[in-house]
Amino acid sequence: MFLDAKLFDKFGVEYSPGEIIFCEYEPGNEFYFIQGGRVKIVKIINNTEKTLDILEVGDVFGEMAILEEQPRSASAIAMDHVKLLKFRRENFDALLQGNPQLAYKLLIIFSKRIYDAKRRLMILLLEEPQLKVMDVMCMLSEQDPHLDLQEAVTLKATMQEVANWAGMQVGDVQKILTHMNQLGKIELFTDKIIVKNLRDFQRVVNSRRKNMMS
Amino acid sequence: MSNGPISQSTSIVTRRYKHGSVVYFENDKSEYIYVLKGGRVMLTSRKVDTGEEVKEEIKPGEFFGVKSSLGKYPREETAQTIGETVLLVLPLADFERLVLQNVNVVRKMLRIFSNQLRRIGKMQREVLDQKDNVNPAEELFKIGEYYFEVGRVQQAQYAYKRYMEYYPDGPYSAKSMQRIRAIESGSQGGSGSTFDGGGPVSAPAAPVHDDSMDLTDFSIDEERPSAPAAEPRGPMSDFDMGMDAGSGVAGEIDDFFGSSSAPAAAAEQPKQDIAEIFYEAMSLFSQENYADSLRLYTEILESKNLKNEAERKVYEKASFEIGRSYLKLGKFNEALAAFSDMIKKFPQSENVKNALFHLGLVYETVKKPDKATSYYNKVVAMEPKDGVNKLAAKRLATIQGQGK
Repeated sequence: MFLDAKLFDKFGVEYSPGEIIFCEYEPGNEFYFIQGGRVKIVKIINNTEKTLDILEVGDVFGEMAILEEQPRSASAIAMDHVKLLKFRRENFDALLQGNPQLAYKLLIIFSKRIYDAKRRLMILLLEEPQLKVMDVMCMLSEQDPHLDLQEAVTLKATMQEVANWAGMQVGDVQKILTHMNQLGKIELFTDKIIVKNLRDFQRVVNSRRKNMMS
Repeated sequence: MSNGPISQSTSIVTRRYKHGSVVYFENDKSEYIYVLKGGRVMLTSRKVDTGEEVKEEIKPGEFFGVKSSLGKYPREETAQTIGETVLLVLPLADFERLVLQNVNVVRKMLRIFSNQLRRIGKMQREVLDQKDNVNPAEELFKIGEYYFEVGRVQQAQYAYKRYMEYYPDGPYSAKSMQRIRAIESGSQGGSGSTFDGGGPVSAPAAPVHDDSMDLTDFSIDEERPSAPAAEPRGPMSDFDMGMDAGSGVAGEIDDFFGSSSAPAAAAEQPKQDIAEIFYEAMSLFSQENYADSLRLYTEILESKNLKNEAERKVYEKASFEIGRSYLKLGKFNEALAAFSDMIKKFPQSENVKNALFHLGLVYETVKKPDKATSYYNKVVAMEPKDGVNKLAAKRLATIQGQGK
């Protein structure tokens, strides 16, 4: 890890599986670096718990608390035995002064988060469910710059993940993906999706987006 | 964003542009970051939701092209010069070196980024049709209710406890207490409840008697497999006393049986987990039953052998809360002593500022505005700025108004 191991003695906290780290709507004053285990970010939407993200070693969460106290926008729950570094807003300045590398790392994380959030917003703004699902696949392909889009591409994602990104019910996503599978556009597996012609998806989504904007 | 000590770096290039030159196009990929040295630069982007064109002018000394370079994604805007323009062009590595020398630049950027992130988050919620104008206290309680209803009591417990911690006087505090107790009694072996004996399980509103927790009640737990030893827990779960492994109550039961050969020692054991007493005290306080809340806080402060960090934290909180009970009861000297003690004993506590504010309140109440003012002034200057600072500022304004 890029952080000093000694930091764990001072700022380390541990959680057991299922334990809540923080809860949606509670005031947020701390942010966390994951040192071990996985953390699930969830939100209760329409009386259903939805998983927004699963974070792993090296990830940061609760970072919105760094600069202002606001209610948490989602809950964080430990999935495994989780080890975290926990920093309070009050010691943030001191922390930055002593660890400029951490400040730089946060800058990178924020840059990525903003981009991801904008990209997700673009998906959500599409009206047709089919297009949302296609755009999720486009987005997933963008995350791997080494993919050769001339050929079939393999995207590591489950139906649930696609549904989360698209802000849709998993059942609706399943119907769409199954249909695409039948049409031969994709090959569907439990943990991955192979897209035969991703360029085609990009064209369809982009032209629809252009129409929306004009 | 202002630039840092740029002259110290060496591999940075100064580049001159004519009017109307494009520094980069939207969707370009590049790792360069720019600083405007002279002239003007206009960034043109499109709003994500409407496609509307947005123009933003860069001020001299400001960075641009930062986010896409750092995040290694395509440019989101087109940058074009207006008039003769001079730019510093920094490769990512130089930018890193530069900002590492000036953490303040990073802080400013983080603040801007954080605002952008919030704005996008807000738009996402609008698209997903999630209401923005909600009452966080009520929503926090509802999260508890959600988990309670789906039977995930550990998570429900967490939300209720947080509610009690942040909003002890809130409209759902009685209900939250009730749930906390229901969950706890459920965990004590399912069928019945250890806590029934005299204790007001479903009606925390009723006054509680010291002897409501007869030790013999614990006998029901003899058949229970012994609870795992209490683990040290993160401060986030300071008030955990419930369901999960390592529950304070369960631990205490073990202690009790473990020392059964020495009944005298056992009798000295606290009858309840101190976290539980604390919640009861908060509940009583919220019902304006200050005499009883005072009695319970006193009980907590008299307890010895704090078992773990969580209990130490409860002790610390009680040290503060007892002052509030004294204040409500009009026992001003005791209140002063309590808040001062708390600050002395726990100078690092997050409640220090609040204690100082309460010292101000006490002095204001006993008509010593000068002393009150000096405490309020201290509070106003303290970081982090939050509601307590505002309250103190408000009190200062009132005192000044009366002085005229």
